[in-house]
Amino acid sequence: MNPVHAFPRLLAAIVLIANFALPTWTLAQNSAKNVVTTPQVRAELMAHAPQGVEPGKPVWVGLQIAHQPEWHTYWKNSGDSGLPTRLEWKLPAGVTAGEIAWPAPIKIPIGNLANYGFENTVLLPVPLTIAPDFKPGLLANELDIELRAAWLVCKKECIPEEGTFTLKVPVKGSTAINGAAFERAFAAQPKALAAGSTVEIVDKAIKVSLSGLPATLQGKTLGFFPETPEVIETAAQWTQAWNGAVWTASVPLTSLRSQSPAVMPLVVTAGEQAFRAEAKVLGSWPAVAAPAAVPPPPVLDSAPRSTNAAGPSGVTLTLGLALLGALVGGLILNLMPCVFPVLAIKVLSFTQHADDRRGHRISGMAYTAGVVLSFVALGALMLALRAAGEQLGWGFQLQSPTVVALLAVLFTVIGLNLAGVFEFGAFLPSGVASLEARHPMVNSFLSGVLAAAIASPCTAPFMGASLGFAVGLPAVQALAVFAAIGFGMALPYLAASLVPAVARALPRPGAWMETFRRLMAFPMFATVAWLVWVLGQQSGIDGAGALLALLVGLSAVVWAFTLKGRSRAVVATLSVASFALLAWTIGPNVTKNVPMGAAVAATDRWQPWEPGRVDQIVAAGQPVFVDFTAAWCVTCQYNKKTTLSDAALLADLDAKKVVLLRADWTRRDPAITAALGELGRNGVPVYVIYKKGSTPVVLSEVLSVEEVRSVIARL
Amino acid sequence: MLRRLFLASPLLSTATVSAAVFATAFIAGHAHSAPTLGQKAPEFSATDTAGKPRALADFKGKYVVLEWVNPNCPFVKKHYNSANMQGTQKDALGKGNVVWLAVNSTEREHPDYMTPAQLNAWMKDKASAPTAMLMDEAGSIGKAYGARTTPHLYIVNPQGTLIYAGGIDSIPSGRADDIKTATNYVKQGLAEALAGKPLTAAATQPYGCSVKYKSSL
Repeated sequence: MNPVHAFPRLLAAIVLIANFALPTWTLAQNSAKNVVTTPQVRAELMAHAPQGVEPGKPVWVGLQIAHQPEWHTYWKNSGDSGLPTRLEWKLPAGVTAGEIAWPAPIKIPIGNLANYGFENTVLLPVPLTIAPDFKPGLLANELDIELRAAWLVCKKECIPEEGTFTLKVPVKGSTAINGAAFERAFAAQPKALAAGSTVEIVDKAIKVSLSGLPATLQGKTLGFFPETPEVIETAAQWTQAWNGAVWTASVPLTSLRSQSPAVMPLVVTAGEQAFRAEAKVLGSWPAVAAPAAVPPPPVLDSAPRSTNAAGPSGVTLTLGLALLGALVGGLILNLMPCVFPVLAIKVLSFTQHADDRRGHRISGMAYTAGVVLSFVALGALMLALRAAGEQLGWGFQLQSPTVVALLAVLFTVIGLNLAGVFEFGAFLPSGVASLEARHPMVNSFLSGVLAAAIASPCTAPFMGASLGFAVGLPAVQALAVFAAIGFGMALPYLAASLVPAVARALPRPGAWMETFRRLMAFPMFATVAWLVWVLGQQSGIDGAGALLALLVGLSAVVWAFTLKGRSRAVVATLSVASFALLAWTIGPNVTKNVPMGAAVAATDRWQPWEPGRVDQIVAAGQPVFVDFTAAWCVTCQYNKKTTLSDAALLADLDAKKVVLLRADWTRRDPAITAALGELGRNGVPVYVIYKKGSTPVVLSEVLSVEEVRSVIARL
Repeated sequence: MLRRLFLASPLLSTATVSAAVFATAFIAGHAHSAPTLGQKAPEFSATDTAGKPRALADFKGKYVVLEWVNPNCPFVKKHYNSANMQGTQKDALGKGNVVWLAVNSTEREHPDYMTPAQLNAWMKDKASAPTAMLMDEAGSIGKAYGARTTPHLYIVNPQGTLIYAGGIDSIPSGRADDIKTATNYVKQGLAEALAGKPLTAAATQPYGCSVKYKSSL
């Protein structure tokens, strides 16, 4: 061959081969360099440039993370812990990367904490802006992309991982190989809602109002994801409701909030759909920290406020004294209107088997066992919940309007039975009846459980200090105190069953028993009235009214089922239907959250208690009298109406310029529970007098005018 | 003859009553008990890794720094392998009226759980010398303080008020290189508090692995 001709042909061949080989070579390089695999994830840098890389054309890059099962990475707001995936781009001049277009996350709860993140496979797309001054590499005609990504991948433990990725995207021609993945990612983007959504700061929560959501979502439950971290309490329970076309939610704030944004971007999800709103923040963020230019003066003396031993007025309660107090408290429980009818009926049953002494003894002991074990169980439940972090105290069940309503229903049914409106024989299947007849011991045991359950909401004097002391004890000793309350309560019946003289002293069975039974209905109804009043304090007058209406409807249903034949079919159906309608329309009023503190008027002598208020006032030099009370606490109400309304006492308080604060524990309030804990108590009522330079004086539960006046005189 | 009363049928009545009273205890929902800055820090008492009982009340009159720790967490390792946390501890303890309490709220069943002896060995190995390391297996101290991550730092002033809650420093990452460019919030906070000045950063974002609590009921 002619060497002169060969050389150009050789050059052409080399150039041609290079042109084909180079891209192939770089492709081979790509498949190695744009993927990072770890034992937990496979991360791949992808590009999407369907119209080539030019100014004005859509160019996207993104990191796709495929997680191993149960592993997850985090969203823009990672929640209670974790870190969002971070992408750092190294791009040639003229090319800038935008922000990650985050897909909608999922909520990942871990125990009592929660995170926001992604599992399975997620693609985080980033838009690239190509400026006119972008010049691709000389030989390559490609866009060189380098990414340094850092992500935190967690399952039960967390592993921070990093990767460096490179990718070359041809400038000419279309890069649409990952088109499907990018389209999916774009579809998973939250759609922007028009302006008009707001977030209002109300007390310790935010009220969200989102408008512009599609009508098809109305009535559906949405997921809520705020983009701003450190504002809400991620794992707390929150409520949502539709107000016509506006979606509203009430989300608690975290008490250790470190952000105070003026605009809160939010994402809401409904199944596969997601929407994003930039909600304007209304109201002002509460101050996070008290300005501490000068350290606050020491308020009380050095006596540590601990949650154990120190009982009322500095007297250390020993276990023995606590047990004794619990026993007496239990005894007094029998006199409460909710328990007295049960006890009376139980004692009456003696008359039916007047000569069966052994039967009495067994039944007495079985009843005692039932009562004691039930109190121990309820105590154990409360201790377990406290260990799990719940701020609970005795009577915690009554802080929920639902529980109060259910108890009211129960007592109404029992009252109706006692009044003779219905008899149980008609309802009870014969199998159950014979079962009960064959095991009288089980019968008695269960009636003990019943009595304990009915009694638990009633607080008796002397029980408060014992219970507060009990909570600080090791579990076994604490449960012994609860058992002592149960034993005290069962004691009268146990004594009656063991002492034959009691059964003999009772009159012979006769018509008087019917009258007595109907008479017992009235204390039961009185308890219902009290529960309705408590509910009124919790859910407002509407709630109380709704509950009363429901009880009337329920009574009608119960009576309807006592009828026979055709009248039963007709009346029962009608009454059940009316009751259902009633429950559906006005039922929700019962559990409606009404702001507490409405009970304390501005002109009242009593001001509402707040955490830190006592310290402030005492530091200023005035003594403070705090009344820890609750609507469902009978002793509290009694004291309120008698001792705390005494004119001479009030005059004394005014003379010494004592500030009166009322801490209302009718609904759950962790701040009040904590304050009670510091005083060595965990139930109400608690009356405390604070003065600068002395330990707080805790007064007795059944307050007497003389006692309070003597303490005030010494101030 | 007393006809059958609701009360006299214990089986049915107990079933309904028990359902109403016992089960509905769960209805009211979670009560989160996180403290508030500027308010009294929650009291606690626990046994430390040396077997001694400790309580917050024991340290009244001193600044108390609380550090939630889990030696197996990569973020705790970031600050311990680089000696950053130990340095912050020495800095604080050197001031005279500051006490440093490390708290471990990892539950017993978790793979990350370490016994007091193992924790003592780890501290010796890392040359970490806090005043005490408290064992909080039940998680009650952690939950009382709303501790979410390891590390999570708190400062309580001599009067018992919580003045700082948040992260150890200002750059949330797993990279040790970031420590030198980040602001150490604990060092800064203590310096400001001891000078009587208000804290410029009293509430910051804590970052790290989640605290391994026992799952709630």
